[in-house]
Parts: sequence; structure tokens; C-alpha cells
Amino acid sequence: MNWNFTTGAFECRLPVAGDDNQALLTLLGKQTQLNHIPRLAVENTDQVEDELRRMVMRFENREAAFWLVEGQFDQQIIARISIQKINWMMLSAQLQWELTDACTLQSLQTVLPDLMGFIFNELGLHRLELRLVEDSQYSDWPEQLGFRAEGVLPKQQEFEGKDVNLAVYSRLATD
Amino acid sequence: MRFTPELPFDGGRLKPLDAEDTPALFALYQQPELPGQKPLQDESQIGRMIDLSVQMAATQRGIMWAIESAGEIRGILSGFDWQASQLRIMLRADGLPSLSDEHRAAAIRAAIDFLAEKYHLRNFGYQWVAGQNENIPALLQGLGFERSAILRDAWRYADRDFADIHQYHFISAAEKPKPKKLGDDDNPGQNLDRDNKHGGTH
Repeated sequence: MNWNFTTGAFECRLPVAGDDNQALLTLLGKQTQLNHIPRLAVENTDQVEDELRRMVMRFENREAAFWLVEGQFDQQIIARISIQKINWMMLSAQLQWELTDACTLQSLQTVLPDLMGFIFNELGLHRLELRLVEDSQYSDWPEQLGFRAEGVLPKQQEFEGKDVNLAVYSRLATD
Repeated sequence: MRFTPELPFDGGRLKPLDAEDTPALFALYQQPELPGQKPLQDESQIGRMIDLSVQMAATQRGIMWAIESAGEIRGILSGFDWQASQLRIMLRADGLPSLSDEHRAAAIRAAIDFLAEKYHLRNFGYQWVAGQNENIPALLQGLGFERSAILRDAWRYADRDFADIHQYHFISAAEKPKPKKLGDDDNPGQNLDRDNKHGGTH
């Protein structure tokens, strides 16, 4: 199965250890790009190495898949988009993204339809779920990307001393 | 060491799964409540479930009790997706038609009280799958749960057939435990203490 594909002016491809370390540090090293998940930013290349190793292991176990979104012309990586917690019994997965400032809603509107086509048609999943910190900077994006709001799960984790509520959105293969 | 204690409630009790209850538990799983769940074929699977229930409780991954009322096992109360560091857990109570709403509610309440007291859990989720006993949502609301989300097609019950999951949460008003450092509860002078009945070593 070919996991890499081109969509619009972007290439979506699996990360390559060694080649993508610096780009991942840029993506995962800025706290404002991670507050919507939420998770702490990485601080150095050793942590990026660990992250790459985890991505490979989780991909090989078929519990997650990670794509880097790269501009075809400038070769700049603007996003990492992943599906995690893949549940092959329930045919569901959670979508997650980390975006640089260069990645806009329009960029995602270009990339996500093909990516979701791959997830629904090639992988055979039925439900794609997105969980965002309530009132995050992306709160009005999911519905513009074809997701439907399903509710808010209260106090799902503690982050920086505060309880975090997560808004849940979904997109189904049949939507 | 027992990680799953017996918990009494008005009209019955929660009891840890035990090998002597195998026939009753097998009978319970002949009438599964969840849409699409098939009756168990093999009684030996119950033994495996009992072993797992002990391991899960010991490692704080999950917990299972049999719900007993009027001297008979009528249901299973399980806690899963136990996130010890996030102080939350997901509960489910599956029962035979003879398990009354009153006893199901009392069993859930007993489990919540125990988990809040012993493990300081504060966030109790419950997933009701469309097609299950229709009385459960009202019963949950009576216990203080609120519906937080309807997860569309999140439960698969046949090849390409799905049901919605209604997710409820009850947030305990109890205060969060105060973080302590390792050793805070120890007697720092214990090695100097001659009284070996109270932590001294000589």
C-alpha cells in the first residue's frame, strides 16, 4: 500500500528519520502549535529522535499513522497530520494535527479531502474523530472541514495546572 | 492482596469475580446487553476474564465486580479506560433483565464512592450505546451524570452497521489530592528509632 500521495501543491508523506528531524523540531517545538491537543513542546533534537522512533513503532503496530505535509515547490513542511488510536474493531481513529503558521484553513481544505479519502477508502475506517481543547485557536475549523460537532467531554486531563475540556467532532465515511 | 473489595449496597452487593461464580457469569453472558455482542460459547472464557479482572485491578487499568442482588448474580459492573494520572475512568453496568434499575443505580453509586475514596478518581464516564436498556440514561441522570456528547456511529455491531454512543460524565466535587513528595509520609528518623515496632530497624 502506498501511503504517500500528492494533493494540490502539497505532498503528504510518511516522515523519514534523519531527514525530517529539523522540520519536526520546528513543528513540535513551539508551544502555541500544540496547545489545542494539548501537549508540551519538545525542546531538543533528542526528544525529536524519540518522537520519530515512537511514530515508527506505532505505525508498524498499525495503531497510528503520521503524514508530513510538504510544499511541492519550496519543500517546506507546514504540518504533521496523524491518525491515532486506530480501532480496527470499531473502524475508527482520532485525527490530530500540528500546524506551522504557514498552514492555513485553506491548506487543510486542500489536503484533508484526499487524506480522508485514503483513510475511508484504502484503510476502510468508518469514523474519524477530532478532539480539540475547548475554545482553542482552531475551534471554528472542524465544521469548515466537514466535521460535525458532537459535544464537549469535561475535564479530560490536567495541563499546566488546569483541567482541560475537549470538544469532539467527527466525520464519517458516509457523511 | 485483594484489589477489588466487596462493596455492599442497599439490596445487594458488588463482589469480586470468583471462580465459584463461573456458571452464573456464563449465564449472564448468554444475554448480552450490548448491541451486536454475541453470547459466550465457551465457559473457559470466564476463567480468563476472572484472571484479567485481577490483573487489571492490580495495575489500575480496569476493575470488575459482579452485581449480586437477592443472593444471585445479575450483572457485571466494569471500569475501563482507567487513567490514574488523569483521575478518570469509564464505567459500565451490564445486567440481566432481572437486574432492577434501583439495584443497578445503587451498584454504580457504590463503585463511584469506592473509587473516589480509595483512588481519588473524580471523573466518571459512562457510555450508553443506542439500543441498550432505555432506562439507563434516566438512571444515570438520577445519579448526577450529564450527557456530554453523542458519538456518531462509534459502536460497530455488525460488518458495516454502527450505533451511536451517548457519553455521560459525573464529576465528583471532592477536592483533588494534594501532591506530595516521595517520603513525605515516612518517619525520617526511622533508622535512629530503637522501636522496631514503629519503623525502627534495631
